[in-house]
Amino acid sequence: MEAVLTRHIEANAPLDLEAYRSVGGYRSLDAAFARKPEEIIEIVEAANLRGRGGAGFSCGLKWRLRDADAPRPRYLVCNIDESEPGTFKDRYLLYGGPHQIIEAVIVSAYALQAEKAVIFVRGEYGKGGHGLHRAIKEAEMAGLVGSNICGSGFDLQMEVHISGGRYICGEETAMLNAIEGLRPNPRHKMPRPSVKGLWQHPTTTNNVETLVNVPHILLNGADWFRALGINSGCGPKLFCVSGMVHQPGLFELPCGTPARELIFEHAGGLAEGRTLLGFIPGGASTAFLLPEHLDVPMDFDPVAKAGSRLGTASIIVLDDTTCPVQVTLNLMRFFARESCGFCTPCRDGIPYLAQILATIASGEGRAEDLVLLEELSGIIALQSFCAFAPGAMIPLISSLQCFHDHYESHIDTGCCPFDAVNKSGA
Amino acid sequence: MGTMRIDGHDIPFQENDNILKAALAANIEIPYFCYHAALGSLGACRLCAVEVASVDPTQSPRVVMSCLEFARDGLNVSVSAAAARQVRQRVIEFLMINHPHDCPVCDEGGECHLQEMTVACGPPYRRYRGRKRTFTNQYLGPLVHHEMNRCITCYRCTRFYQDYALGDDLGSMRLRNEVYFGRFQDGPLTSPFAGNLVEICPTGVFTDAVFRQHFARVWDLETAPSICPHCSVGCNTLPGARDGTLRRMRNRFHPELNRWFICDRGRYGHQYSEHIDRPLTPRVRDEKVSYREALAAAAEQIKAARDKTSGLGSTREDLESNAMLQTLLNKLSGRFATFSDPQIETATVAAVAALQSSGGAPSLAEIEQADAALVVGDLTAHAPMMDLALRQAYRAGAKLAILHSGPSLLARFAATTLTVPPQEISAHLLRLHEQATAAPTAPTAPAPSNKHEKELADIAVYLTAAQRPVLIGVSETMAVPEIAAMVQLATALGSRAKLAYALPGANTYGTILLTPTTSTTAMLEAIESGQIQTLIVIGNDPLGDARLGTRWRAARRHLSTLIVLDCVATATAEAADILLPVAAWAERGGTFVNYEGRAQGFAPVFQRTEPLPNTVEVLADLAHCLELALPDAAAVLSNLFPGYQAPLPGTLGSALSAPPLTMQTGTTIGPASSAHPGHWQVALASWYGDDPLASYAPALMELAPAAAALIHPTAAFKEGIEDKKQVRLRGPAGTVVLPVQLNNDVAAGTIALSRVTLTQLGVGHGDLLELEHIS
Repeated sequence: MEAVLTRHIEANAPLDLEAYRSVGGYRSLDAAFARKPEEIIEIVEAANLRGRGGAGFSCGLKWRLRDADAPRPRYLVCNIDESEPGTFKDRYLLYGGPHQIIEAVIVSAYALQAEKAVIFVRGEYGKGGHGLHRAIKEAEMAGLVGSNICGSGFDLQMEVHISGGRYICGEETAMLNAIEGLRPNPRHKMPRPSVKGLWQHPTTTNNVETLVNVPHILLNGADWFRALGINSGCGPKLFCVSGMVHQPGLFELPCGTPARELIFEHAGGLAEGRTLLGFIPGGASTAFLLPEHLDVPMDFDPVAKAGSRLGTASIIVLDDTTCPVQVTLNLMRFFARESCGFCTPCRDGIPYLAQILATIASGEGRAEDLVLLEELSGIIALQSFCAFAPGAMIPLISSLQCFHDHYESHIDTGCCPFDAVNKSGA
Repeated sequence: MGTMRIDGHDIPFQENDNILKAALAANIEIPYFCYHAALGSLGACRLCAVEVASVDPTQSPRVVMSCLEFARDGLNVSVSAAAARQVRQRVIEFLMINHPHDCPVCDEGGECHLQEMTVACGPPYRRYRGRKRTFTNQYLGPLVHHEMNRCITCYRCTRFYQDYALGDDLGSMRLRNEVYFGRFQDGPLTSPFAGNLVEICPTGVFTDAVFRQHFARVWDLETAPSICPHCSVGCNTLPGARDGTLRRMRNRFHPELNRWFICDRGRYGHQYSEHIDRPLTPRVRDEKVSYREALAAAAEQIKAARDKTSGLGSTREDLESNAMLQTLLNKLSGRFATFSDPQIETATVAAVAALQSSGGAPSLAEIEQADAALVVGDLTAHAPMMDLALRQAYRAGAKLAILHSGPSLLARFAATTLTVPPQEISAHLLRLHEQATAAPTAPTAPAPSNKHEKELADIAVYLTAAQRPVLIGVSETMAVPEIAAMVQLATALGSRAKLAYALPGANTYGTILLTPTTSTTAMLEAIESGQIQTLIVIGNDPLGDARLGTRWRAARRHLSTLIVLDCVATATAEAADILLPVAAWAERGGTFVNYEGRAQGFAPVFQRTEPLPNTVEVLADLAHCLELALPDAAAVLSNLFPGYQAPLPGTLGSALSAPPLTMQTGTTIGPASSAHPGHWQVALASWYGDDPLASYAPALMELAPAAAALIHPTAAFKEGIEDKKQVRLRGPAGTVVLPVQLNNDVAAGTIALSRVTLTQLGVGHGDLLELEHIS
């Protein structure tokens, strides 16, 4: 497949406005303004563009959740608070092609008839955020952002908000609080942000990768977009592969490309003599998949059918020298550290799990600890306030299922078996 | 509105009630931490889990948080379901991971919500084998003690402190299991409502630092329903005493008044009754004597003076004591008054007359519902809980207007703030009335400086547009014209407008009902002309009066005998010929009539190890020595107020039936002529801890602002006065040297001074003063 989203991405020297226009940038504005906003939503819906932020919710449907006659002002928030372990796709888009993002935000805001767009950038992506800010200023000077864009009568203000830098800020309502200058605790979802979001005004939030597809869909049509995918997937998809592979990296491939092709062809496969233990398909908060799932197409529904989630399509590979208990402990420590501290199960439950896992990983676990892990993770997943803790429980619960023998051997032998393997190997 | 079922019981609910609220209202226990009736639902603690049966019988029931789920008709809820119980148990287990096991020595022990919930829902044994997280505590000032390790992160403290009371120096910091509730750095909490943290915290993070100094286990405390003695609001309280000493104060719920909270003066002011200098032994001249001896000496002097005996009651003394003194004086044909400053007396009579004629003052709950309010004066210091009620109105979107001369904590929430010298308040009110009635006739009053026309017009617009406007005046810093102008404005706004005054004592309304005509000036003049030989003072401090202290001290020389009954060592008590120490309010029962005219009874809470008689008993004993037949207080009061029945402590209180007062005329505040070039108008820079009783509470007084002369920067610049430079102030009573403090909340040409400084100088609010530079 010819690169679509990454075609004009220059990681070290992003195209400025002139250069971006010379390769066809901002052409979708004309295509957008020539249509009624409602028509754009219909096209996006027909393209079956699904959210690239992790949940895979239909973009067109999400846009419809905000009433067409919702009171003004209305907001569009573009989420670049990419903090999921293993995920670095939005960073590529941000650092390598700010104008593509601006173009996408303009046409999406037009479709939503939103007059203000906030682009929320991960704190650690500060440099990229500043680059984006400069690009917005460039676009403003050229009349692409601001009042009466290109004589269309459509007004849009656009702002970059660089996050204070926490994982939870990527959660939709925590992000709204963060933008408002409040503590980034998630909000109660009733009423929904599409009704009462930023400053209690109707707000739509999309991941940046989702939005950058929109200009291409507008220019080339829904059928073109659907045809780009394979194995039931639609459109291009940015895949990240990391972990125990030769060439970790970012790959733009048809949505639906099987994991085997990603790991063994594009990422160069495993080291000599190693075998695959398993992989996480969609970032830290998705369930482990095993070698038997290598041919599952990396698309939302097939991965879900295999018992995991496509998430951010960020594969983390474990080979036979990787201790899955350590991997899980590492993930739990990450989630314990990133909990916003709002609700009890997440704030105090996840560190509890991490403590139990640490005991098991170091060989000091007890048989009843496994029962305890199952019991507690079930409660935490079901009874927390937002989606953070349920997401955090997914890799733990699946790790306990997929790698049960490894947990037992840690407890039975009183040590980490991988320590011995790795030492003898070295 | 509807009915749902909880564990087989049919429970009614109101529209927009969540399950938890409806259940609690029906006395069904659902455990919870972060929910609070005043703060609403949050959904953070996850303890209030209940099981809700699905409407579709094929679907299995769900566990939901009862604080976040609306009650619906026909909803079938189970608190006792195993799934819900398991969630609650795990929540407690999570919370107890880091909570220290210091319950046996914890201040909160015995009234700890976490302890109760742990016993009620938690697992009996601990499974966590890791280390506990620990925090460093902060110094939060003399009133509230901080112990962060006990925190269960329910966010109640910040929701009260920041969201409800609108404070800004306590917040939540950091994240994960290290969320920290405290200040940016160590230091005293600045909110006048900070003490409520002690009660709002469900465990022992914030505890009462004063109670801690002289601690008792809460189950050992003697308690009885009481009324706060520190201002005219009449908040309901629950004092706690042990071993003959008063240890602490808690809020007691009154649905129309203070509800869940009290101010810090109410919580910590009680220390006056344990003050080290509190008079405990009767004294005749300089000799300590027995009660009987003191009584006999007093009776002898009164017999000698006969009708040349007079009595001065007090607005901080209860209805019974004042009524008994008045009755005694009637028997002796002597005079009776209750104020030491005639100007404040006149204003207060006018205020009570205005309240009676305006159809009654709004309760605090009604003030909270206001959609626009005008405040005249510094409400925070004179009636802190009225301020808190207005903050609730502000949070709900009400427009506040403040007309004041000196600093006011409420001003930062005001849509319009008018800072004007004391003597110009009245003209501003009259102009506001004209604006509100939209009668563009020639101004009847001297037109206020034109620069305020726009602000007055703004205020007039939102007061007239409001559905529930409230006007509140601070009577101590007003005179009759100001009070009358507010009445006029209220009348113009129509019956939807409510009028209230913060009065200068817990029982001011009650004493005014006893002495509906002003009598202080006559009494003072009678003393000065030698017509009075013996003066009986109960709970009052005329010799320490800010404006008239000098005159009273001079008049005192005409008295042959000054008999004082009090529980604090005032200047008057110090100067007494015969001092009869009496029980403080928590040591006796009585009745206070609050600013609404609501008579509320308070019960005796405890007895001192060596009990002191109360004022009523002393007066009865005195009458006995004088061989006068004095009826008991109940009889006296039912004689004065038809159908009087003493309001029972712990009830909501009731209005007294009394004939309406008439508003007298009077001049505006300050001296008659206003043209005194080179003079500054004095404004009272009041502080919520400076009432006559709380001034004896050591912990609270640690927070008293340092004495300074507060001047507006522009005015200071014009006069060449610099910040922090010393200036000399000369008043009738003395000279004071103070540093200047520039303050934007002080009116032009006005110098704002603390109550203590006013007393040292012998001037009152609105008086004139000369200021001297010290080079």
